[in-house]
Amino acid sequence: MTDQVVVTVTVNGETVTEQVPARMHAADFLRHRLGFTGTHIGCEQGVCGMCTVLVNGEAVKACLMFAAQLDGCQVETVESLATNDRLNPLQQAFKDEHGLQCGFCTPGFLMTATALARCGRRLSEGEIREEIAGVLCRCTGYDGIVKAIARHLDEAAAAGAVPAGGTSR
Amino acid sequence: MTETLERRPHSVEVPSASLIGTSTARKEDDRLLRGDGRFTDDIEPVHVLEMAVARSPYPHARILGIDISAALEFEGVRQILVGADVRKMSQPLTVLRPVPGAPKLPYYALADDVVRYEGEPVVSVVATSRAIAEDALELIDIEYEPIPHVSDVLDALDPDAPQIHPGLVEGNLMVTNPEGTGDPEAHIRSADVVVEGRFRINRVTGLPMETRAVVAEWRPGARELTVHSSTQVPHLVRKQLAEVLSLTESDIRVTASDVGGAYGLKLGIYPEDVLACLHAMALRRPVKWVEDRMEFFRATTHAREATHDYRIAARSDGRIVAITNRYATDMGGWNSGFGSAQLSSVVFTGPYRVEDGFVERRVVLTNKTPIGAYRGYGQPEVNFAQERLMDQLARKLGIDPLELRARNMLRPEDLPWRNPAGAVYDSGDYERCLRMAAEAVGYDAHRAAGRGPRADGRYVGIGLSSFVERTGYASARFLAKRGSQYGAHESVTLRVNRSGGIDLYTGVSHMGQSSETAFAQIVAEVFGCGYDAVRVHGGDTASSPLNTGAFASRTLIAASGALKAAAEKLRDKTLRLAAWCLEAPVEELEVNGAVARRRDTGATVTLADVFTRALTGQGIPPDEDPGLESTAHYEPTDAAYSFGTAAAVVSVDPETGDFDVDRFVMVHDCGVAVNPKIVEGQVRGALVQGLGAALGEELRYDAETGQLVNGTMMDYFAPAAPDIPPIELLHTEVPSPVTPFGVRGVGEVGTIPPAAAIANGLCDALADFGVELDSLPLTPESVWRALRGSTG
Repeated sequence: MTDQVVVTVTVNGETVTEQVPARMHAADFLRHRLGFTGTHIGCEQGVCGMCTVLVNGEAVKACLMFAAQLDGCQVETVESLATNDRLNPLQQAFKDEHGLQCGFCTPGFLMTATALARCGRRLSEGEIREEIAGVLCRCTGYDGIVKAIARHLDEAAAAGAVPAGGTSR
Repeated sequence: MTETLERRPHSVEVPSASLIGTSTARKEDDRLLRGDGRFTDDIEPVHVLEMAVARSPYPHARILGIDISAALEFEGVRQILVGADVRKMSQPLTVLRPVPGAPKLPYYALADDVVRYEGEPVVSVVATSRAIAEDALELIDIEYEPIPHVSDVLDALDPDAPQIHPGLVEGNLMVTNPEGTGDPEAHIRSADVVVEGRFRINRVTGLPMETRAVVAEWRPGARELTVHSSTQVPHLVRKQLAEVLSLTESDIRVTASDVGGAYGLKLGIYPEDVLACLHAMALRRPVKWVEDRMEFFRATTHAREATHDYRIAARSDGRIVAITNRYATDMGGWNSGFGSAQLSSVVFTGPYRVEDGFVERRVVLTNKTPIGAYRGYGQPEVNFAQERLMDQLARKLGIDPLELRARNMLRPEDLPWRNPAGAVYDSGDYERCLRMAAEAVGYDAHRAAGRGPRADGRYVGIGLSSFVERTGYASARFLAKRGSQYGAHESVTLRVNRSGGIDLYTGVSHMGQSSETAFAQIVAEVFGCGYDAVRVHGGDTASSPLNTGAFASRTLIAASGALKAAAEKLRDKTLRLAAWCLEAPVEELEVNGAVARRRDTGATVTLADVFTRALTGQGIPPDEDPGLESTAHYEPTDAAYSFGTAAAVVSVDPETGDFDVDRFVMVHDCGVAVNPKIVEGQVRGALVQGLGAALGEELRYDAETGQLVNGTMMDYFAPAAPDIPPIELLHTEVPSPVTPFGVRGVGEVGTIPPAAAIANGLCDALADFGVELDSLPLTPESVWRALRGSTG
């Protein structure tokens, strides 16, 4: 194929340059080109939210973007959250609140919640449910997920700190 | 009853400081939270090729010709297979759970002459990438001649209906399976009151977030086929692949490390598993196929669709004297690995004391995607029919629906009880769950408040649904009678290592059910070591003892017995070796965390030391063999029956049919909970699937074209976080006398009561309008139509 595009992108703090087919979507690129297989694919239609990552701080569905559109962008995936062997507070909240079962949807929820937490606001349960409506889970019934995110938003708001590299919306 | 069932006291005592009953942190979580899960599509062998499949766009058509010449020339294409190739290279797919008495309807991985449902595989292409394989599909010209099709179950039974398997199945009726006891027809003739209804259950999908996927690798010199599969049953996949590919089981290794949800849909092989293996073997290159979501909606088994004709006969005091249920399940175009739902027969009388009953399943073919197992597997379906009719009976007799249920429920002292389908309910207190649910929703206050609209014009109703659920399988003998190709047992191997840890090998794959956690809890509890010292290796046929797999809410029931026996055996030898080290009598020793300890003197030896001695054979008693591992198998003696009641509070607008489920309470008993947090998660998750199926999920086929009209993630309603009504869970804990540790299965129960409870709530709210709902899903539109129909 001659329809190749050169993409320079920073993923989880590391800048890479890759030549990719123009039609390759960003989720395939992250998974199969760069090896960030924590980003999952569930529908390639922008509905299920398994492939949610942060692009320049915004939660987006990577299956709806071309890899070429990532050129010059900062991308964060689920692999960026933990430090060495330590889960970050959001991940820990998911663990404590049983916010995951099979774990396939988990990266999508974690990245959606990461973007939410950077707003630095507490949200009601109903607001959290609306905010995460773009990610589907078929195992948990959402209860543990909502509890984990609520706890994390409370902690993040109490700390009052916007993590480095994050943007407020 | 003609026989006396032995009453068994529950004898297992669980110590209060036990790990069993503790919500320990899950073993599975860290890798999944960090994006380090290993799902099938994460596996990328070097030089891997990818497969794409051309599928029939017609529900029923003859294949007149296939032209692959242009696609073969396409750069990057490595191999193309059509039906005729597959017939030469493989055997028909085998089924794991044949429909008793029905022809098996063997079929090959690719259709050769006739396609029988939209989405049936016709051609497979392997290329250097999925995108190129899909490009090549566009170049393949398949000539079809459409033939008349039939989509509806009852239409398919019409004598003039198109025949889907002519010569093999007469009139599209695969089989009729009757069961029962007593003389229900005589009771119905003489009963004070009889209620009956026809209830239509919607076709849905379990919709795991991870679709199916397979990676096949063949090393011809080693004669070794390694298959990474997103499956619930690695050992059964190995068995089936050996049969279909004419290999020995020794030639095949199946692994399933992380599975992104399964719910019954990933039980055994599908055509694409066979195709990936055939290509890999022919090309001597790894071949990967990952189902895309559009394929999923057509190619992975659907569920539930059925029509139940249910009857209850009762005395004027409300006592039920007979129940009959004749139902037709939709099998689709082929017999799937597990066939259509059968538990609608097993629990058709629910928690009620009924001695005269008759149930009959008719399995019907249609030109739709085959139906297979899905969480609940017949129990939500029959619960909807039964519990809707209980409310109609209550209204007819002028008895409160709660009291009618209580009056008919089996009492703790009636159990064990053999129901008319032959199911033996082990133990339980059904009425307590009913009363607890009623109290939790303020049932009495609601009844006392009387009818009439609220200030906002909405009517409020409360609906109940009580159920008994079969969890696990009785025994291999029971399964053998039905021709099932698997056992009832689970097995486990424990091996020690020099670090002082225990490696636990199981054929059970991780699919969200938390088996790694629960298994480790049991082994640590019985052995006496720390929970962290147990590492679970699941889903690899090369390392695990042959087992059955994760389905039918059976895993923990069967596995707990194997885990207990294996851990005891391992502990006994560990203590003998430790006693020799410490020069102590073995009776004085116990395992305590990371050490074996003398109770009398407090002297200790580390497990790492004892294990190293065993593994090297150095420093062990002369009469002991080196090595330290144990394998145990456990065959359950009976199925365990969980039970409970759900109550839904709904408010409905009688003008528009718009309604809300304001509260949903479920009281449930799954016996001893090994890990209460996991139990709660399982129940909630299944409830949301049940709520989805009750309130909107439906795979719709266009009657004219026979095509699926909402087969995309965008078009199929799957509940998101804001769509869930508030759910309150309460538990009772009656230990089962027939299982180790007193557990019952818990994975499926939540799917059972939502539809009936909500429908009953709606009909209660709209009782003055005479609304009776009998079809799923329940939507504002269906309520509005019922209102219009009933008020003329």
